[in-house]
Amino acid sequence: MLEVSNLMVFYENALALNDFSMKVEQGNIIAIIGSNSAGKTTLMNTLSGLILDTKIKEQRKGGERITLYGTIRFESEDITNVQPYDRVKRGMVLCRERHPIFPESDLVENLKIAGYLQKSSEVSAGVDYVFRLFPTLVRLKSRKAGFLSGGEQQMLTIGMALMVKPKMLLLDEPLLGLSPLMQNTLVDAIKKIRAETGLTIVITEQFARPILPMIDHGYIIENGMLTMEGSGIELMDNPEVKAAYFGV
Amino acid sequence: MKQRRKERIDRGTKARSDDIFALTSYREMLYVAVPPVLPVIALLVMPLILPPYWQKVLLQTTIFALLAISWDFLVSVGMVSLGQALFFGMGAYVAGCLDHYAGLPIWLTIPLATVFGGALCTVLLLPVLRLRGVYFSMVTLVLPLMLERIIEATGMLGGTEGLTGIKPFGNSWVEMYVVIIVLLIALFGFRRLVTTDYGLVLKAIKDNDRSVMSAGINIYWMKAQALFISGSVGSFCGAYITHVYMFVGMPDFALDYSILPLASAVVGGMGTFAGSVMGAFILVPLSEALRNVGGLRIVLYAMSLVVFIVLLPEGIFHYIQRKYQQFERWVEVEG
Repeated sequence: MLEVSNLMVFYENALALNDFSMKVEQGNIIAIIGSNSAGKTTLMNTLSGLILDTKIKEQRKGGERITLYGTIRFESEDITNVQPYDRVKRGMVLCRERHPIFPESDLVENLKIAGYLQKSSEVSAGVDYVFRLFPTLVRLKSRKAGFLSGGEQQMLTIGMALMVKPKMLLLDEPLLGLSPLMQNTLVDAIKKIRAETGLTIVITEQFARPILPMIDHGYIIENGMLTMEGSGIELMDNPEVKAAYFGV
Repeated sequence: MKQRRKERIDRGTKARSDDIFALTSYREMLYVAVPPVLPVIALLVMPLILPPYWQKVLLQTTIFALLAISWDFLVSVGMVSLGQALFFGMGAYVAGCLDHYAGLPIWLTIPLATVFGGALCTVLLLPVLRLRGVYFSMVTLVLPLMLERIIEATGMLGGTEGLTGIKPFGNSWVEMYVVIIVLLIALFGFRRLVTTDYGLVLKAIKDNDRSVMSAGINIYWMKAQALFISGSVGSFCGAYITHVYMFVGMPDFALDYSILPLASAVVGGMGTFAGSVMGAFILVPLSEALRNVGGLRIVLYAMSLVVFIVLLPEGIFHYIQRKYQQFERWVEVEG
């Protein structure tokens, strides 16, 4: 469904992603595991196309030049230079790091804003679905999104991404800054989403422990380089992964 | 497939002279010294070779360069002012009054107007220091226009006629070189100031005022200080022009004094002060040169502004600086 080949991203002279290739099959959950500064967010921004926007902005203010090489193919079409809004229309939706939401609007309004591309009947169905997926959000319905806790905001952002009815969901560090309990809630929700809708999901994360058991295939990157790949079980059994990510 | 990318690398001299100053040859010393020394020499020589009309233009240009520097300084503290005319007019009126009513000599009125003008502007803007972004800009835009109308309506300080018969400098060389030297001091002084710890705090207020607050610094006190410094520079310009034209009146609050410095700083490149000066030295003579064109002057002027901003949005100075300090080469991308 998604095919990334030989992706290289330069920030000025620094190499953020080096010759990264991956493949995502329909209906799979894929994880990209790496520590800080491994290039996870860069990869997500490149997949969703946001980096094209950053590139132009940096160019205009004479800042860092961002250079991209390699190709991204989505449903066997080359989308390397497709604008982010077009990628959303094609069904690729990114849920960004640190849950950016519209703080001044309430929770339902946020969901409706996210459903901008949908018909109104689909929007209300989508809102119902999000509330079924995250029952804790129901009683916060009319609260301003800026006053939600970190975990609630994270649920909201995933809900907002789902409102777009994606074919492929990109989650950038969904567990960042959450308590272990909240992490489990979210992991359960992600499993549930896949079970119910068969959505293809790509997750980047540094907490490998809760993520690895549920994935179909995982990639481990360090300093922008792919160091290891394999199924979830394979990765969990690998002694190096154990040492680096499980502290065993 | 072989792909190429253009690599930009800092010149070795730049990397070494950036903060550690280990220069080993005359060539490297020249590399560091030429950019600041060249404009100084040019500024000092220009009055000697220019014809009288262009000397007046030069005087006007240096004034706008000073105003642009003071605007740039305010912006680097996070206060986008649209009312340099407030500072300018305040200085002009303080100097005019000191001369007209108190009869003080010129070497007293200008320094006094610089300090008191800056202080008055700070007091006037104190209540709005807590506003951020566009709200602060709106208030600064309105204040000079309001003062202009107050003077017109009440007829105080000469009303619409203004105060005439202010003492002139007497010597045109003194007149010329006073402002040039002040410009050079302001330019290099501000460039030094923003690299000191004090300047770093000011810049930090722009980047993230809340984290400065949480470091235990009173940002409103710092902002007031910055406002005073910037206001004093603006007031100096006003006081100086008052004595050059021997007149102070409502035109000193005109919108020109707010807009042109802003345009200069944007064209030249913000945050460097040298960029502001460069911008003023492009825009003001350009607007004079276009006087021959007649009716289309403003159109051409506006068009050139658009061209500058579209082609070099980062500012001319930043562009030149980058070209000077870095070299580029094509390298092949492996992989």
